[in-house]
Amino acid sequence: MEKIKKMKPGRWIAYILAYAIALLWLFPVVWMIISSFKSYGTPVSILPELFKGEFTFDNYVTITEKAPVLRWIFNSFFVAMVVTVGTILITSLAAYAISKLRFLGKKYVFAIITAGMMVPMEAIIIPLYQNMAKLGLLNSYIGLMCPSLAAPIGVLIMKRFYDSIPQDLIEAGMLDGANDFQRWWKICVPISKSSMAAVGIFTFINSWNNFLWPFLSITSEKMMTLPVGIPQFQGANLSEFTLPMTISVVASVPAIIMFLIFQKHIIKGIAMSGIKG
Amino acid sequence: MNRVNMDMRKKILKENIIAWCFLLPFLFFFIGFLLYPIIKGVELSLFDAILGGKSEFIGPANYRDMFQDKAFWEALFNTLFFVVISTPAIVLIGFAFALVINSTLKGRTFIRTCFFSPYVLSMSVVTGLWIFIFQPYTGLITQLTMKLGVGEMYWLNTKWLVWIAILITTVWWTVGFNMILFLAGLQDIPDEIYEAAKIDGASSGQSLFKITIPMLKSTISLVILLQTIASFKLFGQTYLMAGGGPGTHTRTIVHYIYETGFTNRKMGYAATMSFAFFIVVFIITMLQNKLFADKDN
Repeated sequence: MEKIKKMKPGRWIAYILAYAIALLWLFPVVWMIISSFKSYGTPVSILPELFKGEFTFDNYVTITEKAPVLRWIFNSFFVAMVVTVGTILITSLAAYAISKLRFLGKKYVFAIITAGMMVPMEAIIIPLYQNMAKLGLLNSYIGLMCPSLAAPIGVLIMKRFYDSIPQDLIEAGMLDGANDFQRWWKICVPISKSSMAAVGIFTFINSWNNFLWPFLSITSEKMMTLPVGIPQFQGANLSEFTLPMTISVVASVPAIIMFLIFQKHIIKGIAMSGIKG
Repeated sequence: MNRVNMDMRKKILKENIIAWCFLLPFLFFFIGFLLYPIIKGVELSLFDAILGGKSEFIGPANYRDMFQDKAFWEALFNTLFFVVISTPAIVLIGFAFALVINSTLKGRTFIRTCFFSPYVLSMSVVTGLWIFIFQPYTGLITQLTMKLGVGEMYWLNTKWLVWIAILITTVWWTVGFNMILFLAGLQDIPDEIYEAAKIDGASSGQSLFKITIPMLKSTISLVILLQTIASFKLFGQTYLMAGGGPGTHTRTIVHYIYETGFTNRKMGYAATMSFAFFIVVFIITMLQNKLFADKDN
């Protein structure tokens, strides 16, 4: 009995500490969101000011007048969507071949794809830029999308899932004479939805937030994605907080919503791609 | 016999063709936008190539220049410095957070959401936000330090202080990812082991050091590895928050490569450093893999 009583204050401290740190962690995000609804010029660093006065949507209108923000939203969304759908399709096709088909050089193909995971994007930006310039793909959607479609990690995640599908299941579900494409599309794809979702969610968020390559390859303001547009926008409005905060909120909302909806998938996906690799 | 053999060969050939058709779309992008640039980069490193200008073959001269380039070594030092300060910090805090969420605390999902949510924000949003936090005159922390009587601190313009600001930003942004990896590892440890230890009278501290940490060995090595590489690639935070400054105090390797290639237009030399960067990251990966593989055996 005594032991239990002794534990209690410690437990209370643990609770308070855990919640305090958690709230502190969330605070910058909350601060950003509230600031975006304060009228232009509010000194949001003085925290009491955050709760004085009215809340307004004005900033959300103003940012679209100051910069082609709507176009940036479209660019980010369009690129992320195409990259996501494309990555899901091409990585699961490749994974099917590696997992379920016999072919010459399979071991090497798989080894090279695995090694490809270790190549940092940062190390190839210079030659990639030269190649893209030669192909005339700078400042273009195709140029933005292509490097993201070479995603070895997606192949590995999908392959791991396909490996767990017994061959019998594939045979049993198919009439004789079905070809491999049908086996992939009609049997494997429907049961691998959760792995595909994991790949898709990650790809979308990564593409939506992608900074380095768009930053290098896009110089035209019209072709910018949000992560490239934001620093430029903020640089022009450093003395005022609410407008940059607003554009940051706009850039964050899709990823935050996806995270809140697919939290379980995302966490499972990180664990899957990390731990058992 | 011959007929059967022919059929077999046909079948094998057909399977090969089908397999390569499945692989083709992926390999197109993988080779075109990942493998080929690597090879192209090696080639480029042997040229004196000007961005948008002429290029001339100069053999290994760029590599010689690199070894004599003080700015290169400084950038390498800055990068290594960040690796050394950030990896332990992020790994330890990530581990601590994972322990909290793996405990019996109420509201764990909420706490997990708080810790993880910064990770889904874009680099630009994160740095933008923390610039406002660290900014002099009007920044959030400045308001705090003024109230506390410490006065104004020029976080992003002061040597070493700028590294603390960048470290805090990076920890805040990415620790959730490491936390999730640890959490997955923690959840793989069977409860029975802890219960057995409890019956034997083990304290929670003993359980942590005698059960949890040894059983998480592979997870810990994975997290350290991923974090080391991630820290090595540091660019956005230092570039956007401090412009590599004050002076070149926070100019990292990737930043220097960017500057050499795009500001000074020396693509050949930039490719040389990119290749060196690639090799260093590759060696770290290999070393760590080997180190942990040896320990496991």
